[in-house]
Amino acid sequence: MQSINSKFTRFLFFFLAASLTVWTSCEKDDDEGPDNEEELITTVRLTFTDSAGNDNIFTFSDTDGAGGNPPVAQDITLAPNTSYALSVEFLDESDAANVEDITEEIKTESDEHRLCFDYTLPIASIDNLNLDGNGKPLGLTSSVSTGDAGTGTLTLSLKHQPDKDSATPCATGETDVEATFDVIVQ
Amino acid sequence: MSKRLLLLGQWLLLIMVSPALRAQNQCSITLKGKVVDAHTREPIAFASVAILDQDIGTLADENGNYILPNLCAGTYVLVCSHVGCHHAQHEFEIKADMSWDFELEEVSIVLQEVVVSEEAPVLEATQSSSTLDAAQLQSERGLSLGDAMSQLPGVTTLNTGATIAKPVIQGLHSNRVLILNNGVRQEGQQWGSEHAPEIDPFLADKVTVIKGASSVRYGADAIGGVVLVEPRPLPQQAGIGGEANLQAFSNGRVGIASGMLEGRLKGKLPLSGRLQGTVKRGGNLQTPGYYLDNTGVEELNFSWAVGLQQKQWSTEAFYSRFYTQLGIFSGSHIGNLTDLQQAIERERPLGEGSFTYDIGRPMQRIYHELFKWRSSLETGQAGTLQLQLARQFNRRQEFDAHRQYGSLPDDLDIPQIEFEITTHTAELSWEHRPVRRLWGSLGTHFMRQANTTDRGALIPNYENYSAGAFWIERWKHYPFPLELEGGLRYDYQWMDVGRQGQDSIGRQLEFSNISGTAGAIYRFPKLLNLRFNFGTAWRAPNVSELFSKGVHHGAASYEEGDPNLRPERAYNTSLTAEVNDVDKLQASLNFYYNVIDDFIFLEPRAEPVLTIRGAFPAFDYAQSNARLAGLDWQAAYELLPGLEVGSKGSLLDAWNRSRKEYLSLMPPFRFEHSLKYTFGKAGADKAEAPFLRFSMTNVLKQTRIPAERDYAPPPPAYTLFQVEGGAQLRLGKQPLELGFTVFNLFNTPYRDYLNRFRYFADETGRNVSLRLRLPFGLESGS
Repeated sequence: MQSINSKFTRFLFFFLAASLTVWTSCEKDDDEGPDNEEELITTVRLTFTDSAGNDNIFTFSDTDGAGGNPPVAQDITLAPNTSYALSVEFLDESDAANVEDITEEIKTESDEHRLCFDYTLPIASIDNLNLDGNGKPLGLTSSVSTGDAGTGTLTLSLKHQPDKDSATPCATGETDVEATFDVIVQ
Repeated sequence: MSKRLLLLGQWLLLIMVSPALRAQNQCSITLKGKVVDAHTREPIAFASVAILDQDIGTLADENGNYILPNLCAGTYVLVCSHVGCHHAQHEFEIKADMSWDFELEEVSIVLQEVVVSEEAPVLEATQSSSTLDAAQLQSERGLSLGDAMSQLPGVTTLNTGATIAKPVIQGLHSNRVLILNNGVRQEGQQWGSEHAPEIDPFLADKVTVIKGASSVRYGADAIGGVVLVEPRPLPQQAGIGGEANLQAFSNGRVGIASGMLEGRLKGKLPLSGRLQGTVKRGGNLQTPGYYLDNTGVEELNFSWAVGLQQKQWSTEAFYSRFYTQLGIFSGSHIGNLTDLQQAIERERPLGEGSFTYDIGRPMQRIYHELFKWRSSLETGQAGTLQLQLARQFNRRQEFDAHRQYGSLPDDLDIPQIEFEITTHTAELSWEHRPVRRLWGSLGTHFMRQANTTDRGALIPNYENYSAGAFWIERWKHYPFPLELEGGLRYDYQWMDVGRQGQDSIGRQLEFSNISGTAGAIYRFPKLLNLRFNFGTAWRAPNVSELFSKGVHHGAASYEEGDPNLRPERAYNTSLTAEVNDVDKLQASLNFYYNVIDDFIFLEPRAEPVLTIRGAFPAFDYAQSNARLAGLDWQAAYELLPGLEVGSKGSLLDAWNRSRKEYLSLMPPFRFEHSLKYTFGKAGADKAEAPFLRFSMTNVLKQTRIPAERDYAPPPPAYTLFQVEGGAQLRLGKQPLELGFTVFNLFNTPYRDYLNRFRYFADETGRNVSLRLRLPFGLESGS
């Protein structure tokens, strides 16, 4: 009995000694990672193309990220009672020398995203949203019709992982972008 | 012999204070005797017998016999104590060899055992303090450390969902509460409210909470209090023992297995050692109406310790590793203020959710490693010298709900936020022998800390160097009922702040100040102890308060630090009364009045910050003079034999003196009432007798809030019921402990003001937990 137990004791201490050498593998600060660089969306670019093929481009941008300078929105100026094809692009312009287009990313993950438009007259309608891989609305391209001359607003938001089956998909998901423009139709 | 090992868990609470007796030529008197139960006259094994106010003591053997050799002639007070019993003391005049038997009274709950620890033998804190001993921790096993502590009066938790809980002591938390993990100041990313302590609760054998400013002994920053998490001491007797713990929770289908193996060598090299580990896995939790998506948790922890104890010196190495991956409730991840308002308006998350063990984004991965080496040396008549060196490494990774844009699909494993912090500490302390009834210790403390933010730019990289020195003295003259204590401490801190995101901050900050304490204990024999403490402490602003800049998505807020913040200064007065009626009543009442100048808090900005993600409410770190006053109590009364009623309560009033309004996010009034029935006769085994306990927790609505600043009003009051029970069985010679707890017995839906996710979902519903503990021992053949 005694010899068994002393073997046990020896085993335990061998085990502990082994753990000393094996598990004292102190973790070190590895300094991995992209050194604080994270890509973000800094700019929303709206391109309104009329039937003659003329592009009207307006941007909403916050190149220095949250805090600092507030975002700058250009006024959207359109003609009355006209139809436009609208295409939306998202860019990372935090490094002016290396502007990245994040729209592709959203296209690749189209079923996880949805663009939502909240507008007042003089925009009469926004419809014909393009579809994601599952045949549900995505909205990177759409059709816009203006009404009579006047001023109003357009709020565009990019929702991430919205519930696209919901009756109000734009009230679900996480908001990645929310950009409000003043609209002038003249 | 197996019984001896069975009892390990109980007597290990008490460290034998230097069994090596300082034998002197004229000192050869032997005192011996037996320790028995006052009612049954059965021997009590492994009780400790010590001479009050001297470092002389021993443990009784398994038959209750003790022996104290080599005593000098003189008058002594001997104290005999054992877990689960009231201690007994007796004054002797010793001229020749003699014998004395101690009779110990059993107690049904152990509130404030005479705590004899390595740092401070026989010196009790003059602040209010509460302890969770091994038996109480046993019934809280499986909960996080923060949740387990919240059963102590004056302690609540600050939660982020159901998976993250931080202890709040008398309204203060995070950087204002120090956690000492096995004697080492825990240095992780404790500044964040969603950063829970990185400690395996199964490692703790005892958790002590010292409430109020306790900086002198434990270091600057301890404005709110100190939490001491102590593993059990290494075995003192040759042989091998251990325990296995298995536990299951119905809510989240959580399973936990924890094991421990320890032993001590016989012979010339009496090395002691221990190996311990815990594995935990849980899935989505459930509220009374729905599942909380993505609230699973995984934990994998282990530790080892090796020690050697000799007559004049002892040395111990300890290593622990904590790893957890926990899901953050997906319904809480929101983009901006509009999303938050929509989440509040819908009153419950979208969908019913479902059960899964899979953890997806958003989630946290946390890794904490501690290595420590501690040695102490008896310097003859001078005292005890102790040196402790430690290294800690903490890595925190936070994964947002979706990966950043621009990265490829195989980068799903990349976190949005990653901090790594490495801390080295060195402590040297000297506890001097009593001089003219003055007991005391002096010590120094050095720390070097480096933080690198590998991802995200919430806080900058920094290096922090600090040094401190303290001196604390206690005057005590038994049996004079008054004890006095005074202490001073000086701390210096230098911080070099480097890069934050794309910006180079390049600032050096320097802080230094003193802390002080003055306290008294007055003991009315056999009835009442009064404790008074006045403590002043300071805290340098933390790097997050100085330099934070960014959006907290979980909280939908933009926070900005202020590099010109001044240190906080607290003046804390605390008065505690304790009743210890041996037969019937145990009670303690603590009143505190904590004045904090330059209290740092988040102040809302008038205008929200506009970003491309929409509007976020903005907060700036600001300073104000504050006052926290409150009352905590705990009482237990034996109504009938075996039947005990209990009551606990915590009341707090937290006021911003400069702005003339309440402070936000302070715990509301809280009460707990309980009824406990212990089956079986009052006998030597009463502590192990089966019991059943019902309790009712009542939390009032927080009405003390600043006007109109919250997104939603504080949730209404709630009442929860809980039932628990435990029993010890014996399968042949093998003891087996079984226990169960039903949390939230009636599946009550409720929300808690101190849960940051109260905007999104209810708290968890009914949860049945079963636990099994199997202590085992193997003979050493002695």
